[in-house]
Amino acid sequence: MQRDLLIRGMQDILGPEGVISEREQLRSYECDGLMNYRVIPELVVLPETAEQVQSVVKLCYDEGIPFVARGSGTGLSGGALPVESGVLIVLSRLRRILEVDIPNQRVVVEPGVINIWVSQEVAEEGYYYAPDPASQIVSSIGGNLAENSGGVHCLKYGFTTNHVMGAEIVLPDGTMVNVGGGKAADAPGYELLGAFVGSEGTLGIATKITLRIVRKPEAVRTLLAAFKDTEEAGGAVSGIIGGGIVPAAIEMMDSLCIEAVETAVHPGFPRAGAILIVELDGPAAEVEYQFQHTIKVCEENDASEVRIAEDDEERALFWKGRKAAFAAMGRIANDYYVQDSVVPRTELGAVLKRISELGAEYGMRVANVFHAGDGNLHPLVLYDNDVEGEAEKAEALAGDIVFTCLEHGGSLTGEHGIGEDKKKYMPKMFTTEDLDTMQLLRCAFDPHQICNPGKIFPTPRLCGERPGPFRMHPVQQAGLAENF
Amino acid sequence: MDRNNDSPDPRQDGNPYDATDATERRGEATPTNQDAAAQSIGAGSPEDLPDDTFASRGAVKQTVGIGRKTESGSFVFPAFDDHHPPEKDLIDDCVHCGFCLPTCPTYVLFGEEMDSPRGRIYLMNKGLNEEPMNDQMVRHWDLCLGCMACVTACPSGVQYDKLIEATRGQVERRYERTPQDKAFREMIFQIFPYPNRLRLMAAPLKLYQRFGIGDALHKAGVMKLLPKRMRAMEALMPMLTEQQEVPEVTPAVGERRRRVGFIKGCVQRVFFSDVNAATVRVLAAEGCEVVAPKLQGCCGALSVHAGREQEFEGFARQLIDTFEGLELDNIIINAAGCGSTLKEYGYLLRDDPEYAQRASAFAEKVMDVTEFIQHLGPVAERSPLPVAAAYHDACHLAHAQGVRRQPRQTLKQIPGMEVREIKEAEICCGSAGIYNMVEPEPATELGDRKAKNVLNTGARMIVTSNPGCMLQIQASLKRMGHSMPMAHPMEVLDASIRGADVETLLAK
Amino acid sequence: MATRTKNVSVEDLQNIVGEGHAREAGAGDAVDGVPPSFVVEPGSTEEIAGLMKLANDRDLAVAPRGGGTTMSLGNPPRALDLILGTTRMNAVVEHVPGDQVVRVQSGIRFGDLQERLAGSDQMLGVDPPEAGEGATVGGIVAANSSGPRRYRYGTVRDLIIGITVVLADGTVAKAGGKVVKNVAGYDLSKLFTGSLGTLGVIAECNFRLHPRPETARTVAVELPDTASAGAASQAILHAQIVPSAVELVWDGETRLLTILIEGIPSGVEAQAEAASHILGGFGEVRELADDEAMPSGPPGAGDDAVAVKISAPPAELTGVLDSTLGASSRLGVTPRITGHAGTGVTYVGLSGGEEEARAGVVEELREIWLRRGGSVVVRQASPAFKERVEAWGPIGTRLDLTRRVKDKFDPRGILNPGRFVGGI
Repeated sequence: MQRDLLIRGMQDILGPEGVISEREQLRSYECDGLMNYRVIPELVVLPETAEQVQSVVKLCYDEGIPFVARGSGTGLSGGALPVESGVLIVLSRLRRILEVDIPNQRVVVEPGVINIWVSQEVAEEGYYYAPDPASQIVSSIGGNLAENSGGVHCLKYGFTTNHVMGAEIVLPDGTMVNVGGGKAADAPGYELLGAFVGSEGTLGIATKITLRIVRKPEAVRTLLAAFKDTEEAGGAVSGIIGGGIVPAAIEMMDSLCIEAVETAVHPGFPRAGAILIVELDGPAAEVEYQFQHTIKVCEENDASEVRIAEDDEERALFWKGRKAAFAAMGRIANDYYVQDSVVPRTELGAVLKRISELGAEYGMRVANVFHAGDGNLHPLVLYDNDVEGEAEKAEALAGDIVFTCLEHGGSLTGEHGIGEDKKKYMPKMFTTEDLDTMQLLRCAFDPHQICNPGKIFPTPRLCGERPGPFRMHPVQQAGLAENF
Repeated sequence: MDRNNDSPDPRQDGNPYDATDATERRGEATPTNQDAAAQSIGAGSPEDLPDDTFASRGAVKQTVGIGRKTESGSFVFPAFDDHHPPEKDLIDDCVHCGFCLPTCPTYVLFGEEMDSPRGRIYLMNKGLNEEPMNDQMVRHWDLCLGCMACVTACPSGVQYDKLIEATRGQVERRYERTPQDKAFREMIFQIFPYPNRLRLMAAPLKLYQRFGIGDALHKAGVMKLLPKRMRAMEALMPMLTEQQEVPEVTPAVGERRRRVGFIKGCVQRVFFSDVNAATVRVLAAEGCEVVAPKLQGCCGALSVHAGREQEFEGFARQLIDTFEGLELDNIIINAAGCGSTLKEYGYLLRDDPEYAQRASAFAEKVMDVTEFIQHLGPVAERSPLPVAAAYHDACHLAHAQGVRRQPRQTLKQIPGMEVREIKEAEICCGSAGIYNMVEPEPATELGDRKAKNVLNTGARMIVTSNPGCMLQIQASLKRMGHSMPMAHPMEVLDASIRGADVETLLAK
Repeated sequence: MATRTKNVSVEDLQNIVGEGHAREAGAGDAVDGVPPSFVVEPGSTEEIAGLMKLANDRDLAVAPRGGGTTMSLGNPPRALDLILGTTRMNAVVEHVPGDQVVRVQSGIRFGDLQERLAGSDQMLGVDPPEAGEGATVGGIVAANSSGPRRYRYGTVRDLIIGITVVLADGTVAKAGGKVVKNVAGYDLSKLFTGSLGTLGVIAECNFRLHPRPETARTVAVELPDTASAGAASQAILHAQIVPSAVELVWDGETRLLTILIEGIPSGVEAQAEAASHILGGFGEVRELADDEAMPSGPPGAGDDAVAVKISAPPAELTGVLDSTLGASSRLGVTPRITGHAGTGVTYVGLSGGEEEARAGVVEELREIWLRRGGSVVVRQASPAFKERVEAWGPIGTRLDLTRRVKDKFDPRGILNPGRFVGGI
């Protein structure tokens, strides 16, 4: 299809305000939260209704044009990276909260609605939306759905997939289907909703999403404990969870990370080898009992300090320090490279030890901040892009960390997704048969593979590509290609 | 496996739709070759798509054309020259996390990446060596209100304020605006920084509407752009009240605790002279000797926010000269927009060997009046004002200066006063310096949104620290058929210290 | 050993699984009256793969079977050659208590697994009624069975974190893993949950586990009418207590809303008190002893001729009760109602009356609750009844997609043909 015809077709659907085709404007969409990969889309479209999304997808399907959906563009795996010669469907204008149904504990939203808006909308009724990725003040529900976002509180409350009850989906051929029970608990037939959530935008575009909201707990208690090193802190984690407690959150930061956070947001954390932030919530009597147990466990594991948040302000300060961790890395290093691997909780000690050994072998610093409760690591490899060869070394080290996690029975990613960034590692975790079986699902939803093609699954064409900072390919440097 | 082959990857079979294959429209711009840069504009090289490229461009003008139809066709490559371009180091601080998006007023309105801080910084980066400065680029920078809510929201500490100011300086120097646009901007800068001219203009503006001059001009087909902006300007104009001149020196009540300078502002002086009078009374009551030089010029805030660097520097040097040598402990400002610029004098005049150090010394003394009162510790007795007031954060106070707690505290220290928070407090009201005059549509949308949130608080009055916000919110309320008493925190505090009745305050 | 069905003999099967593990089917092996030819019991994933490859090559219709407790779920099979029993695959493959994760072969009996986990003070947070009858873990996953505690812990889909399946062509594939938090690749574990063996044979499953609660108390309120059932349930739902289950029993003279509270003693006590206080506004409150705490038996037990499951928005509990009681009384059928009031799942057992009348009740309920965003599924009934009333009901816009999924995973349609939604 001629470009002009495509533009006109899209304008017929969306009006001129809904189509972006100027090069400079398109460039601001060339990457999402991960800047290592960039592709300029052919067009960006901004539908305002589900019907417009459907018409846009139908046009793409009829013309065989690939498309990628994008929410707030905060993903960390390049899941919303545009596809060359494809259309980028930006859903940020579908941002209405369609229905709040307190009796059934449901909220129905459009995909561009920002995560935190849902909690804000129902706060007065004593409810909130439980999944709380660190990006919750900006990331969209549609994006959360695509990535099956986690968050610090998902240890107890589960992930996005546990809180999405229904969705209206525009399939890659432009048909619209409803999956999940919505307000009802179960729906007969295959669990298509469960398969859709976390499919990273490769199976279709959700245009209406039914979320479960959760009653605010009666009590919340938060403490911060300092330890000599991550091993001792890890011991405390095992002790707490082994005691039959499921904390709302249990987060660990190592000394390097504490240093960065202190520089950035000054939460007043103790200077220690490692700190834990533990949060318990639920019925008051239960929380109190468990809180005392938690304190005891921390002390038994030689915590040098146990600090209890006395009020909401102090609690907010603990979390501010934690949630700023990634962004704060800029204060102690020019560049960093983050991984998102998961290991079984009992392997944490061994894996952390190995990570520090690897860091020493490579002569590079690795900061650790992670969801200790569920073993989701975020090792941050610090480097300086201006020093020749450091970026490559950082990538290699990050890769070795990933392999270490897999060797210990873990997973490539706990919440950031595979996207563009980690697809090359997929064969390390899954066999060809596994991947082919997943492709069966893909083919059922998207037979022509026009919906976010090239993500999640390694393709021969893109094999051997490595993540890391953006570098020009020789072809690019020669001005022959923009992206490859 | 075979079964997967029934779903070919479209990319492997070549691009399913032709002519626009990316390989054909490469043309990576080289910094030295302006022709190459020319080819990189738009989606394809002219050879590929001569007609539809331009057809589409015509249409796309409207994509983000909220309030702007100024297509000058001007472009320069690379976008920035060496004189204070947006600094690469500051741009690199942005990790593209997007946390700024929901607090950016234009992103809230349009939902477009280019109209978000992250997008604008991205474009600045591209402008450093990859893309030219042209209508598109400039439009997205122009649309920024400069409210700095993104600076507050940013976890990485990106100094967007410095970036956008540098960018605007470059735009003003390097980008050729349309004649109408230029004329209108020039007019603003010939009036607003000059209180006397401003005073003179306010009256004819009223006449302008009364006699339907705008309509006549419109019918005549001339000045197509101007009337809309003029109307916007007119809608914002408050009734001129009797001028209250501030004395050059006001002695402290009781023991003198500080000797402070007072900056009268431009808009403040003309339209809100009561606020200045109230501020001086409050400062005196709190034990300050207040020095307010009679002849003081504009601080240059409007100019610096619009990238008019030289004009700003002139204003700034003049103001420094005025206040130097007065032996002041502090220099007090009650207008948020002026305050944020005054505090930046040191940075802004860093290249001026004669003034750099003096500017820093000046800036160090500058405090917002509520900040100062809380710093000093209140001594004057407050009498009760039993009223619920919605406090509106002026962006240049809350975001640019980080002063949020002090004005609230100042109000809460008044017995009986209830301070209510406005939903979406961090989102700008659309006033933003000259923004509501040059970009009336988005500004109006933001103003109405703010007014709605203000009304929803159920408060009886609204309190804010910036004259621009007052004008803007008042205009929106009026358009919506509402009115609400409005006051500067100093007016409220003054009423309390003087023991005025709350109804008198509300009837103002 | 002369029986041959479509070119397969019992020897062919024995060659794969060993002599003792393949036999000709008996009368008890029929599914909804459709007799299979053979029953084969593989002992490993590889043996399942071998069997499936054989079945696929020779076009044999296969019905996977675990404990055989839920074989009447779904429509009668269109064809049936082979029952593939999984009960030999009953190992706990991996359980590291510190990880609160378990990996099991699908044929392990649910009760055995729970017993094993109890040794580490852990449990798998599902409690389907079939558990007591010897249901296997794989069967529970395939049938997506759930019980009262789904209010707190969710259903299988919320607890399953990894799966190994054998596809119709014998391909062995896995998805997920053994960590709770994992977004690598498609979540096929969920896709297979509730797929009733129509996409593949489940060989292994990984689950996240929960600590076993120390103690439990159940408080119940006697409900004067259906309106108070809805109101009491809503009052509990919006309170800040965290029950494990909110259950309804409406069976003859027994009309109770019961609240199961589990946890540590001090917490349980405080919450039970709070629950009693809330329920006190709706009727007489009493505490139930452990043995009377849970409903008398799963729907479909005893005299019930038909058992259906109604899924509806939880706030419409009163409506569910009224519609069920109303239709039953008009058509002369006796209903027995139990349900997970907190989640909006209600089971209705129907007895008495003519079959036509029972079908009338189900059809009427289905008409109402489909319209109101829910569903009515026949869980248990005679084949003749299912002739009248299709087991699943319509599934709306997603039928076509559902068929496409089935066609991709089982292109020759050999897995449980005809039993699933839309005749899949």
